[in-house]
Amino acid sequence: MSTSKLLRICSLDAENPIDSSLREAFSSLHDRLKPPFPLTIPSPSEYSQLNLALAYGILTEPHLAKTHLTHLHAIVIDGYNNFTTILINLSNESYPKLLQIPKSQLLWMSSKLVQVAAVKVETLIISLLRQIKVGDFSEPNLWLCSELITILANNWDWLLEEPLIMKSSLFVFLRLLADHYRLVGRPELDKLKRMEIEFCIRVLREHFDICLHIGRDLIRLLQDLVFVPEFKDVWMDFLSDPGKFGVPVFMDISQLYRTRTPSHYFSLTITPEMETQLRFLLNHVKWGSQKRYQAWFAKKHFCTPGSETVIVDIVRFICCAHHPPNEIIQSNVISRWAIIGWLLKCCKKNYFLANVKLALLFDWLFFDDKVDNIMNIEPAMLLMVNSINQYIDITHTLLEFLFLLVDNYDLQRRELIFKGVSNSFSLLVRKGVVHSLESLTSCNQLSPVFREKLASMISSSDLATMKGSSEMCQRQVKIAPTTKCNVDSGKVSLANFELNDAGLQ
Amino acid sequence: MISLKDIVPAATNTISTQFILLDKGNIGQDGKETTCLALVADESASVHFQLWGDECHFFEPGDIIRLTNGIFSYHRSNLVLRAGKKGRAEKVGEFNMLFVETPNMSEIKWANDPTNPRKFVKEAVLSSHSRIFPTLL
Repeated sequence: MSTSKLLRICSLDAENPIDSSLREAFSSLHDRLKPPFPLTIPSPSEYSQLNLALAYGILTEPHLAKTHLTHLHAIVIDGYNNFTTILINLSNESYPKLLQIPKSQLLWMSSKLVQVAAVKVETLIISLLRQIKVGDFSEPNLWLCSELITILANNWDWLLEEPLIMKSSLFVFLRLLADHYRLVGRPELDKLKRMEIEFCIRVLREHFDICLHIGRDLIRLLQDLVFVPEFKDVWMDFLSDPGKFGVPVFMDISQLYRTRTPSHYFSLTITPEMETQLRFLLNHVKWGSQKRYQAWFAKKHFCTPGSETVIVDIVRFICCAHHPPNEIIQSNVISRWAIIGWLLKCCKKNYFLANVKLALLFDWLFFDDKVDNIMNIEPAMLLMVNSINQYIDITHTLLEFLFLLVDNYDLQRRELIFKGVSNSFSLLVRKGVVHSLESLTSCNQLSPVFREKLASMISSSDLATMKGSSEMCQRQVKIAPTTKCNVDSGKVSLANFELNDAGLQ
Repeated sequence: MISLKDIVPAATNTISTQFILLDKGNIGQDGKETTCLALVADESASVHFQLWGDECHFFEPGDIIRLTNGIFSYHRSNLVLRAGKKGRAEKVGEFNMLFVETPNMSEIKWANDPTNPRKFVKEAVLSSHSRIFPTLL
């Protein structure tokens, strides 16, 4: 088997189809890739072969890349669609396996495609952004951050035409910056941090109207950066002078709280490989079989120092971007709450754990059933209820954190948050995600303080006004037993009530 | 491609199948050759797979392996699947494959088929799961 100039492939790896199609096109057209270039117009199939051959040439022959690029500019008839698609597939399928030279060439070529505003180049940039691994502080990963932020900063005019890229890259680099800023004793990182700060601040200060579309997760990301002086100023303006952002409709931070972050943002900070594995786990793996998959996932993604920080992003992804259909929820496929329970146990550092709990409960704080999706808050509810028997520490820690958030997250907007959490409990019962909250309110293992807080929250929600629940308000321990008749099981299944302990270790 | 539940011991290199590697034993020496016993499985069954040479260090738990022209036979009194000299095992992916751990085809006692002494038939199940590799619970 021939060794690849493109990918790190060993003799025991099966042949990679992208690698072979590129290599074969290159070797069959090799003689035609040198000047003078032919004057004839290629047929559609010749055109796509020529694109493959030029892509291979550019990726593996850096000394001839400029010639190949001139050739590409000369033959292009589709706005670079064909060529860009080749690079997108390569990035999505094989970026982690790319050798160093093709990797550098891919980034160089991407910057050239941005300069000509190639068709689909925005997809290519998103694909490359997703190759950055959150929590990976190795040199190749930091190199990729630096290459991409350079492309973005150098192509500001293009960025203005591509608001999705602007929002997406802001989301990614705010997230990365929180980790990079915390990393001390790495002077080589200073330049990268500076570029990340400048980029994010410029987007926030000059195009806040676009940033508003990100919604509440923008706040979650920014609060991790409050210790960075430039972002401290942004916070001050958020709280005391929102007019400074020059967006007339933005008058208060609660507008961001009330905007649900669109689900595609949550795929940005996990790699395509992680997404595929998580979706496989949550769509196909049955209760009882998950242990080995969890071990493989942890070995692959959580084994380097600091890598557990990505658990925050995984939890947001599971809550907000992976919503299984009813057939899956009602089957014996492992549930989202159980995987999140396992992820919580994977967090060794308290700092990360607090962020993971916030990620899990974040939508509860601002929940409004007119704009929010019950599937975003379902995992935390089921995890709390299903952990009572064997993992009461999880129920306890989540409730404790939830009440802590209600009381302290934003003192000036405590009422809004109280209402969000109370709405969450209420809707989860009304829609039948849990029959009632009695398992929590009558659980002797939970501290009486929590049970009282929970009861007072319920009594102020619309659950309290539901038929049969007035008694509950007086006794402050039980919740409406008749809520079951209000179940809308068309939206949320009643399945998965039994705790399968296997999920939580 | 054959399902693991359908493999039968035979002296020929005719088994082409695909499975996921669940667990690996210690890497050791068998004469000049490096060997390592592994547990592999597909959606129908599991079996013990004998890794040879470079395979021992290259394949890891979670790898999806395609076996072409492999052999399922007794090797030093253990019933194992392996590539053998004529077959080939190659990595085609990772993680995204379902499996069951029972039955384990290496934990079945096989006897000669009375109607055809060159063939084996199942005589008894020695163990529902591998007795070498523990199940993760």
